[in-house]
Amino acid sequence: MIYLDYSATTPISLDVLDAMNRTYKEYIGNPNSINALGIKSNELLHSAIKQIADLFNILESEITFTSSSTESNNLAIIGVAMKYYKKGKHIIVSRLEHPSVYSICDYLKTIGFEIDYVNNDKEGLIDFEHLRSLIRSDTILVSICAVNSEIGIRQPLKMIRQIIKKVNSFTIFHSDMTQAVGKTTISLHDVDLASISSHKIYGPKGIAMLYKASDIKVTPLIYGSGKSNELKPGTPPLPLIVGFSKALRLANEDLEKKEKYIYLLNERICDRLMKYPNVLINKTRYSVPHILNISIMDVMPETFIHALDKEEVYLSTNTACSSGDISKAIIAVYGDQKRAKHTIRISLSSMTTTKEVTKFLELFDKCYASLKVLVK
Amino acid sequence: MKRVVIIKYGELSTKSDNINFFLKTLKNNIDKKLEGLSYEIRYDHGRMIIFTEEVEKIKNKLQEVFGIHEICDGYLYEDRSLESIKENVLSLLNNEPFSSFKITVKRSDKSYPGTSISLASDIGAYILKNIPNITVDVNNPDVNVIVEIRLNEVLIYAGGIPGLGGYPVSTLGKGLLMLSGGIDSPVAGYLAIKRGVKIEAVYFDSPPHTSPMALKKVEDLARVLAKYNSGEVKIHVINFTKIQEEIIKNIPKYYLITMMRRMMYKISALICGSINAHAIINGESIGQVASQTLKSMQVINEAIKMPVLRPVCTYDKLEIIELSKKIGTYDISIRPYEDCCTIFVPDHPVIHPDINLAHEYETLVDFDTLVYEAIKNQNILHIKDTEENNFRDLL
Repeated sequence: MIYLDYSATTPISLDVLDAMNRTYKEYIGNPNSINALGIKSNELLHSAIKQIADLFNILESEITFTSSSTESNNLAIIGVAMKYYKKGKHIIVSRLEHPSVYSICDYLKTIGFEIDYVNNDKEGLIDFEHLRSLIRSDTILVSICAVNSEIGIRQPLKMIRQIIKKVNSFTIFHSDMTQAVGKTTISLHDVDLASISSHKIYGPKGIAMLYKASDIKVTPLIYGSGKSNELKPGTPPLPLIVGFSKALRLANEDLEKKEKYIYLLNERICDRLMKYPNVLINKTRYSVPHILNISIMDVMPETFIHALDKEEVYLSTNTACSSGDISKAIIAVYGDQKRAKHTIRISLSSMTTTKEVTKFLELFDKCYASLKVLVK
Repeated sequence: MKRVVIIKYGELSTKSDNINFFLKTLKNNIDKKLEGLSYEIRYDHGRMIIFTEEVEKIKNKLQEVFGIHEICDGYLYEDRSLESIKENVLSLLNNEPFSSFKITVKRSDKSYPGTSISLASDIGAYILKNIPNITVDVNNPDVNVIVEIRLNEVLIYAGGIPGLGGYPVSTLGKGLLMLSGGIDSPVAGYLAIKRGVKIEAVYFDSPPHTSPMALKKVEDLARVLAKYNSGEVKIHVINFTKIQEEIIKNIPKYYLITMMRRMMYKISALICGSINAHAIINGESIGQVASQTLKSMQVINEAIKMPVLRPVCTYDKLEIIELSKKIGTYDISIRPYEDCCTIFVPDHPVIHPDINLAHEYETLVDFDTLVYEAIKNQNILHIKDTEENNFRDLL
């Protein structure tokens, strides 16, 4: 099997799974109970949270666990909208966001919020001038992802933050960092709110987090005792939190080294695929190496994916969350409908071996040769 | 060119006879704080120069060391020609955004041509020519660049960041902090450490009336204080349950706090004797609670002959809170676990206790034996400034 869909989800690290198993068996107490078992669980909970806080150089109280990045995006965007609607009902998002961000915005539109979409340049970078012109006195939130999930464009968050705060110091800056954290170096201090997922970095599925800088307030979306966290009441899922914390630590170890290695794999695949006249590489100088998007102009991407499935090679059309749609990100960057309909995303990991890449390229050639003759 | 961090002492410079002892202790404290980093310390006239490439890390760590007045980072050059001084000042200033500046030249090598003032204006003119939109401001500049021309080298640095001040820890003996878990006592401990007192702590544990989380909270507070207390705080954990229960059973309720505090003082004084500490330190603040009226303090203090320092006794609660936030103990202190002073509090404790009555009540229980037992069974915890992760294998 050759798995090249790491940006959709990753296999869980066995070390992480082992730690979770032990937590399920050995830490049975509710961290909110005052008995000895509860205290033992509570200590583990706080150590796990502290490890995350230390990794990002943030406060423990700035972390809220959620079930997914989609939930984090909801809590961030709707939470800010509900908290500050009296100050303004204007929100700006980019054209390179995860589908969940657009769904949230579509909902907010139905209750009177106004959404603007900031343009990007030909390289996928946010158009700073356009952003500056869109920010108004009633703009309460700007949401721009750190790394786009389809073509991997990485945005300069620090600079974007400076632009936003200069025009309107009140405007809150949220970033969906799902495809960035644990894959490339990133600073949470560049933003006010950030969504971060566990299952993209070899951690358990079903847990994610929202970073919320301590000076920012958001309205909770669900209500409960709020003993652990007023934004996400309910018994903390200790094994998931332990797994997430460990996965984050492991993902951030030797990060630069891993990124360099993936860069080499990416180059190798590009070099080869560029030789096919009808394969376009959707990559700009701001694309991160672990996401490689291509358009095969003379074969339907679904057909190609299924053909590769038979060879036990697994990859995606655009993103797992928007399969079947045409790629919004490709439209935003290249403005080409056909190119957007024909995308395939190859996502790489430091676990990907050069042998797998060689085999993949062979199988790609084989499938492509058999499919493109049918088109004529 | 060498990167350096310059440490200036404040109040230390007033010590004449034993300045070497103070400096040696400061250097030891710095060495402990910088463990694991690579650097070299050189004593210089009235300051220390640290040679290192890890400037930012070292500057951060030095901000937790008492006895330092100011921390500057700069460069040491061997080339003393005016041309290269100008270039080096320019490259230093190019790193920072600013709108006004000042150049101060000091010539410890008096044979260097020109006067300090003429050299400063020469260098200043060069900077004005090369960086647009800036002005000279000798009174209130954004950046003050100091150029020291020495015998074989030139030291160039810009205005630094303030250090914590105070005296190096351990230069003024040892004290025992009564650490409760509240907001006040950690701040009192911090202020004592600031004046060069190395602290150990005593905590009165009262299981099952107090939760293990209350002890954990005290450990976490001690860990914060350990950062300033040259890396460690020892906690003497005293099991106070028996004493507390005997007082409740045998002594009128409104004297509970007075008698409890007298016993705590007695135990603390005995610990002081055994660890060679010369004072007790606590977080009492005049009038804050019944046991902290002047009359109460007098009756409680009468139990011992040891001096009791109360660094925050004249502070308002809000002032104490502000300081606790600054040193990082506030968030720990407000965790909701009761300590032994807050359980069993009577509705109307005595605020003007009578010394004779206190003496009389003391005869109702065999306190000497209980105090002896409590000290014999004390548990000593060594709390380091770096948290030990008990869950390393899991996380």
